[in-house]
Amino acid sequence: MWNNIYNWLDERVGFNDLYANLLDRPEPKTSWWNTLGSASMFLFVLQGLTGIFLTVYYTPSPDHAYDSVQYIMEGVAFGWLIRGIHHWGATLMVLVVFIHMLRVFFTASFKYPRELTWLIGIGLLLTTLGMGFTGYLLPWNQKAFWATTVGTQIAGTVPFIGEFTLKALRGGPDLSALTLQRFFSAHIWMIPGILAALIGVHLFLIMKHGESHWPKKDD
Amino acid sequence: MNDETKKQINEKYEREVSKGEKFWPDTIYRDLVMSLGIFLLLILLATFIGIPAEPKADPSDTSYVPRPEWYFLFLFKFLALYGQIPVLGKIEWIATALIPGVAVGILALIPFIEKNSHRYYGKRILSISIMTIMVVGIVLLTMVSEVPTVAEDGSKLIGILQTIMGIAIPLAAYILLFLMSFVFKSSTRTMIWTTVISALAMIAFTGATLALAPESTHEEAEVATTLVDQILAGQDLYSVHCAECHGDDGSVAVIQGVEGLEGEKITPINSRDVLYTITDSAMGEVIAYGRPNAGMPPFGKTYGGELTKGEMDYITIFMRYMWDDRFEAPVIPELFPPLADGEVPSYDVHLQPIVKRYCISCHRAGKENNNYLMTSYDEILKTGDNAANNIIPGDANSYLLQVIQRHEITDANGEVIIGVMPPSNALKPNIMDVFTRWIMNGMPQTAEEAAKISPPPAATPAP
Repeated sequence: MWNNIYNWLDERVGFNDLYANLLDRPEPKTSWWNTLGSASMFLFVLQGLTGIFLTVYYTPSPDHAYDSVQYIMEGVAFGWLIRGIHHWGATLMVLVVFIHMLRVFFTASFKYPRELTWLIGIGLLLTTLGMGFTGYLLPWNQKAFWATTVGTQIAGTVPFIGEFTLKALRGGPDLSALTLQRFFSAHIWMIPGILAALIGVHLFLIMKHGESHWPKKDD
Repeated sequence: MNDETKKQINEKYEREVSKGEKFWPDTIYRDLVMSLGIFLLLILLATFIGIPAEPKADPSDTSYVPRPEWYFLFLFKFLALYGQIPVLGKIEWIATALIPGVAVGILALIPFIEKNSHRYYGKRILSISIMTIMVVGIVLLTMVSEVPTVAEDGSKLIGILQTIMGIAIPLAAYILLFLMSFVFKSSTRTMIWTTVISALAMIAFTGATLALAPESTHEEAEVATTLVDQILAGQDLYSVHCAECHGDDGSVAVIQGVEGLEGEKITPINSRDVLYTITDSAMGEVIAYGRPNAGMPPFGKTYGGELTKGEMDYITIFMRYMWDDRFEAPVIPELFPPLADGEVPSYDVHLQPIVKRYCISCHRAGKENNNYLMTSYDEILKTGDNAANNIIPGDANSYLLQVIQRHEITDANGEVIIGVMPPSNALKPNIMDVFTRWIMNGMPQTAEEAAKISPPPAATPAP
């Protein structure tokens, strides 16, 4: 029976093609340094999953955000673990993405034919930092509130567009319920959407060109 | 890059691939091990380090020193150091927008700036040197992010050291490296040494900065996380700030013994009228803004009071769980451990929580209290207009014991110099008993001192 199911699926999906194109690809010799890209993606998926669990209890309003986070930590079974992973995952993701970028730079893997992969990668680094910045406000504690106040103030010092940027980020002249609402929206919908799309393009380009080999003296 | 070079690169890559490995299982195996390792590390971090507790956001508390997430700390430090540069430092947007913008722009466009096809380290030493100094700078700026730029005695040395490390050395190194690369055509070896020496100099200045840095005074804020802790925190705050007028159980309808508000009629705040009709957020607003027409001063920091948003929330939680019959209070631990027969109470264990709840609201600086302050052991024994008679070891006629037992103290002319305490409600008998035993046994401060003069437990048969 399992054979029948497998054959039926194989006719429609084509497992052999998938295997040949996705898994059975030849690669140059790679090292542990080449695992940082996939580790970044793993962290993205992990942050996505834990983040989805957190939204079950989190409430993005100044009256309830802090208490809902307290409840996740104290009241929800394993809430502390989910939030702990999300909290430390954010730190680790920034670190891993940054080291990944350094690895690509020092081995000059960004050169022909992988220039576009690098450009997308810089987009990924910036969106990851954007995730960190927007996520930092969500617990609505003192640290979050004042760091975001100063952070958005810095955006406000940019000539010409500064004041507009500040108001657009805060949803008004001051940090308020609107700021929390739009940071939440940016944190769970807008930026992850961009991030996922960029990861898709990044992966496609990597599969197209293969992983670069470690540079030797004649490279 | 011409087609010939591109062809060479592609052919070289094909050769590397042909003696390479398979994505499955060779490459992906390492990827999976790495991801699993990261996952385990995260579980350990979440379990054993966790997330530090932080008080609730309080827009009125402008004294809070903002700290961004750690990976932005270097940028914060860079802004602070840049602000120290004369003249140029005043043009903020150069550091906040121009420099980071240009840096990100250069980073993104690296493939189009470094256009040659060389990939070996020795053939691209300029880019590697620039990036190395940048990364070393970022790491070191993050390390000194806690150190102020001006010492407490006003000395600017510590800021100058940081500016040399974070701005002067990297800038000088960059200029030197560019000159070496394009003007002097120096050897790779010389450029590597220049980079290493610059990095070492930056590390040395960081070391000097950290050695001179004042002890970090960063204090962990106390945060009540469980409901019981929040209720207790609210009760302590209520006792200090509210009990003077509203009484320790909120039942006062006519204010007594409060300068300026004597005889003022108020609604008992433990009544259903108040608790059923005022929501938590409205309650918070009344506490924050006060009732100017009824004589209640503002307590919120926004309006010139002493309380933060979180503290006012604790007071509201305390009122709900203790007085509102729609809420079921959790089990609250006793204010102080009950005394056995003959046991002598100590300040640390018994008196301090009692005094905090029942006395400090008036007996602290800035209140009408005959200059008698009760916020510490020494103050209780030594302050006040009647310090000589307030507490006399072993004397049941100590003023303090008389007034809590509802006897006024009068002077020779029969004028009242100290009224009964607390002015509204008498203390419970077990609390009066603690005061009496404490004074009669010579006011021990610590639990050890009290234990020494208490009869041994064996002498007092268990009831």
